Amino acid sequence: MLEVEQLTKAYPDLQTGQFVALDHVSFSVGRGEIFGLLGPNGAGKTTALRILSTVLRPTSGTAIVNGYNVTTHPYEVRHSIGFVSSNTAIYDRMTAWEMVEYFGRLYGIAPEPLRARMETVFEQLQMNEIRDVAGARMSTGMKQKVSIARAIVHDPPVLVFDEASLGLDVLVARALLEIISDLRAAGKCIIFSTHIMREVERLCDRVGILYHGRMLALGTLPQLAEQFGENDFEELFFTLLQKSDEQRRHTSPPSPAVTHR
Amino acid sequence: MNWNHVRLIFKREMNDQLRDRRTLFTITILPILLYPLLGMLMMQIAQFNREHTVRIRVVGLENWPVELPLLSEDQQLVPRAGTDNLGKLVEFETLAWPAATNRDELVAQSRLAVSLDEVDAVLLVEPSFIEQLRRRLSVTPPDTNPDLSRPIKQLVGSPESAQSESQAAPSAELTESTESSQPTRVSASTADTPPASKLSLEAQVNGLQLIANLARDHSQIAQRRMDVIVDRWQTEWVGLQLASAGLNPRLIEPLQVTQTDTAPTSVRRAMLWSKILPFVMLVWALTGAFYPAIDLCAGEKERGTLETLLSSPARRREIVWGKLLTISVFSVGSALLNLMSMHLTAGIIVKKLAGEGTTELAQALGPMPVHALGWLILLLLPMAAFFSALALAVAALARSTKEGQYYLMPLLLVTLPLVALPMIPSLEISVGTSLVPVTGAVFLVRSLIEGRYAEALTHLPIVFMVTAFCCFLSIRWAIRQFESESVMFREADRWNLKLWVNNLWRERGDTASPSEAILCGVIILVGMFFAQFVAGGSIASWLDIVKSTVIVQVCLILMPSILMAIFLTRSPRRALRIHRPQLSHLIAAAGIGVALHPSYMALGAAIQEIYEISPEMKLVLAHFEGMVVAQPLWAVLLFMAVLPAVCEELAFRGFIFGGLLRQQGALRAIIVSALFFGFTHTLLQQSIAASLMGVVLGLIAWRTGGVLATIIVHLVNNTLSISLAWCAARKLDLPPILSWAIRADADGWHYQTTWVLLSIVISIAMFVILFRRSSTTRQVVQAEMA
Repeated sequence: MLEVEQLTKAYPDLQTGQFVALDHVSFSVGRGEIFGLLGPNGAGKTTALRILSTVLRPTSGTAIVNGYNVTTHPYEVRHSIGFVSSNTAIYDRMTAWEMVEYFGRLYGIAPEPLRARMETVFEQLQMNEIRDVAGARMSTGMKQKVSIARAIVHDPPVLVFDEASLGLDVLVARALLEIISDLRAAGKCIIFSTHIMREVERLCDRVGILYHGRMLALGTLPQLAEQFGENDFEELFFTLLQKSDEQRRHTSPPSPAVTHR
Repeated sequence: MNWNHVRLIFKREMNDQLRDRRTLFTITILPILLYPLLGMLMMQIAQFNREHTVRIRVVGLENWPVELPLLSEDQQLVPRAGTDNLGKLVEFETLAWPAATNRDELVAQSRLAVSLDEVDAVLLVEPSFIEQLRRRLSVTPPDTNPDLSRPIKQLVGSPESAQSESQAAPSAELTESTESSQPTRVSASTADTPPASKLSLEAQVNGLQLIANLARDHSQIAQRRMDVIVDRWQTEWVGLQLASAGLNPRLIEPLQVTQTDTAPTSVRRAMLWSKILPFVMLVWALTGAFYPAIDLCAGEKERGTLETLLSSPARRREIVWGKLLTISVFSVGSALLNLMSMHLTAGIIVKKLAGEGTTELAQALGPMPVHALGWLILLLLPMAAFFSALALAVAALARSTKEGQYYLMPLLLVTLPLVALPMIPSLEISVGTSLVPVTGAVFLVRSLIEGRYAEALTHLPIVFMVTAFCCFLSIRWAIRQFESESVMFREADRWNLKLWVNNLWRERGDTASPSEAILCGVIILVGMFFAQFVAGGSIASWLDIVKSTVIVQVCLILMPSILMAIFLTRSPRRALRIHRPQLSHLIAAAGIGVALHPSYMALGAAIQEIYEISPEMKLVLAHFEGMVVAQPLWAVLLFMAVLPAVCEELAFRGFIFGGLLRQQGALRAIIVSALFFGFTHTLLQQSIAASLMGVVLGLIAWRTGGVLATIIVHLVNNTLSISLAWCAARKLDLPPILSWAIRADADGWHYQTTWVLLSIVISIAMFVILFRRSSTTRQVVQAEMA
């Protein structure tokens, strides 16, 4: 369903000449699977997900979403994907219903089927109470629900959640995880980016640990525990990061023209 | 393009903007309220101005000629032709001339009274006034009688303009211009500064002095009113003197010119409005476009909704079109609302002014012609599209609404001169002005409003093409902005000079980068501007010409390119595009230089037909040519043909062209380098011709992969231009061997028509040779473009 191969993204940088945000990252996610993309801030998670949602173009490498290449078929990819970011990105002067309807129409759904689909989604996400509430008057939790509704209104096979639980209170975060879990049960291919270990342990089928733009580890939680000899996932995560830092210190300093943050 | 997406985005953005109270207030409510409020304010001010009376103290009224009194016994102004309305507007108080006080003390006291605002002006009538008046008239020889030799311009002035106090010149100015031609004149001195010696002398001669404080409006008005009063009195008094001498009093004004205006009142009014309305409308169109543009770009970036939209199935161009339509609607709406509000307010004010008897202003302005609105809307639609696309592209650069506000001023600074240019009185629609974006369109609409339809139709195709091209470019720019990752996801970088310089050094390539190329062009232009400013008018000899040519060519054009090539690239030779060209290309270049010259001369002549060189500039050029012609031809060619060909080509087709070719593509490199090349020429006519020549040179530079071929073309072209002018100016005989190609007449040496036509064919053949590149040349160009 989703294949990422040697994906690289570099930006020009005043200090170092070039900043590599993603360095030959590869992973794949299947139908009905939640893939956790784990990493500290600035690890390259958002860059990777922005490339998958075709907002950014990769410098090199390929990413195939639902059979479409993000570089050569971006419009087909956009129809196949739903993107939810930490920034709830809600229009302040539109109601929840209007906003979901707007994106539904952009996805090319005819008015009548769209209405039916929206009724289902609003019911599923328990959003009927905020149907006519304007974005400016919504709480963060409400906004995130609208954001999810917008992302799933066209029933895409692939869903991307970029630190979607950031800033949510415990209750809303728990509800969000339940929604994502339900979406997996519905056969969706899901990428869930976060830096909260508990969410990963609870939700993800497989995990990729991203640091300084590089994939440090990839596999199921038991596989990782076995591979690195550490059952506590949080400890495993910190150990990997420390090892990576030590490795960077011991290896020759990077070329002045290319750096990894 | 999916127009359904455009429609959806447009609909959403419109709804969103209409729900925003701030946008609604700025774009719609403010204009509706603004003009009525301004109108009320204006009427209040006008009323205050009309009803304001000034106080003038007359000291020594007993010294005034009794046969023609200035004031009646109750200190009211004696009614006189042209001063009827002034009686109500001037309050006089009189004081007898103090016998015990000397004149200087009296002047000092009067100045103090004006300074302390006791009165607005003081008129001193000296005891010797009558005597001086009579003596002055009697000593003037009859054949130069001042009253009979008044300047014609004064005689043909309409009575209304003479009456109008707003048009009355200050007395000091009149005193100077008619010093010896008026028997009586008030000499003016101000309260804050001592009177000039000339005025003091005048006062002693005439025996009249007006003391006013020109730093105060009331005092200025008092001075003007008093000037009109004295002017009318003296006309009547001189008439009396002529009558008593048995002469016809009408001798004072023997000429009466009847003025007839062929323009109907409606057209006169339309002319005035046609200057004001486009300016106001376009300023509001731009303002009305900019605020929604900021909200729809920077605002969406700030709220994070732009990223969501960019990841939706809507393509970037569809998003731009949707937003562009919204911004255009607000731009048009804002301009129209302003126009309507202004129309209504102006109508009410004019009606009120006419009702209150202030007919002059009411007649001059009149109601705004309704048909003008129709033509203005015609102008508004393309201009709103152009401004909206510009605003959208500029607003896309901003990361936040706050940053977006900063971009408004530069945008206004660029566009306002284009909107304001048609307000310059001497400028009219022509082929030249039609080619200027925005300005040409405003001129066209002015012609339509004023009913000059034939003129408008003549220039319509050019204006249409220019406007359409500008709209196309601006929309394309906006789309490019939305397609650029660096624009859409730009983050705030802390700029550090040291880091930047280090980065420049570390990242330098074999050739310049596009931004380095543009920087080089800008450095050259700025240097040229200041060089002109410093050297302006100081060229007086051939040596000066040589010095300035060397400084401009070597220091200002060549040096920046060479220094940047050395310090900012790894291979200065490649950066300056010094490659050995194919032999066939060199031969073709020489052929093109010769064959293109007739077309270049014809182009220059055509440009001068459109944009005529001013007589002053022609004099300067003739002077310059005189100095050049006096020198031997080899010297002239060395400094004016060889040096510019080498320096300019290395800079423009070398460093700048090479830098732009990298990543930017050949077309852009050719056009931008040609524009830089054109702008370095001083005269507009030269700039246009040089820009077009720059395009040809750019094309040759691209095909040959180096700068040597263009140096040859440039050199041949310069040599031919200079040689023909030099030979013609020296009145040399045309060699018979050249008579088939060149003819000599009184204007100089010109190409024969047959050679002009033949040369075009030869040029095409030479270009065909240029387009055949060897594999080496192809590799060189491909490496540059990589």
